[in-house]
Amino acid sequence: MALPNKILPGFSASLYAQPTATPTPLTNAALATVATVAALAIPSNLVNVEAVPAFGQDDAVASFSIAGSRQSDKIPTQSAPTSLTITAPWNPSDAQLLILRGDAYNGTIDRTFIISATDGTNTIYYAFNGRVSQFQIDAQPGAEAKAIFTVHPRGNQFGWSNTV
Amino acid sequence: MSQNNPATYAQAIQYQLASIVTPIPVYANFNRNFATETKFITWNLRNVHQPVFTGINQDNKGIDRPIFQISIFTTLFEDAMNVSNLILQSLHGYSGQFGGASGFYIAKADVDWLYNTYDNEIGLQQVILDCTLDIPT
Repeated sequence: MALPNKILPGFSASLYAQPTATPTPLTNAALATVATVAALAIPSNLVNVEAVPAFGQDDAVASFSIAGSRQSDKIPTQSAPTSLTITAPWNPSDAQLLILRGDAYNGTIDRTFIISATDGTNTIYYAFNGRVSQFQIDAQPGAEAKAIFTVHPRGNQFGWSNTV
Repeated sequence: MSQNNPATYAQAIQYQLASIVTPIPVYANFNRNFATETKFITWNLRNVHQPVFTGINQDNKGIDRPIFQISIFTTLFEDAMNVSNLILQSLHGYSGQFGGASGFYIAKADVDWLYNTYDNEIGLQQVILDCTLDIPT
């Protein structure tokens, strides 16, 4: 077993959040180690989201142009991990949503988040440390109430791993 | 990725439905003995389609989202409703192995309970459901 070797439906991705109100986030090395990441990607840590948004790294580039020079230049810079704005169906008693609401209230809690995707045999994990910023309840009639929150990953604190 | 085989889908659907509703018989397309059986299920597969992406390589295809229709036939209205509930509870939102050991993995099964009706010609209650599968390829 290794990386999934298939085109995956979007539905195969799941989001997990490290439990407890005062977590100790994983180190950078542990974020890229399948044993430590898979230990957190368990059903009790699952966050019930409507869809997992785009994840990975942002585009970051420095553009230079000098008068008189023929061409400008675009130099990629070390890009930050992408912020995730996530919509979850709102159950006010949902333990994981309460933890994330607490994070947003506190503002300085670093927590490890994990996104896993599987083809049924192999699994790939994207793990990062982040803080919850936005936390809003959208209770407009005509649909289920939604909790919308944004996770901003800390710079340089993410890793990829897969089942072995 | 390569083109999935509809014959594999058919075997998996037959196996999965039969295992959900056992001992009610499950048939592809139709049941000749409709007059003597008080409960049975038929299914029809449609919309097998993997999107083809750009390029000249025939292998460059996306995930498949086929739909199969499940038709429940029973003499009693209550039975039709109960069997449809059985299928909903087992299949709707299911993620995992589909069709037993020789089947395949599905990321999601999504069941749409369409409508119920009555066929006066054969004297059977019917419930029609659609099930969409998300199959990694």
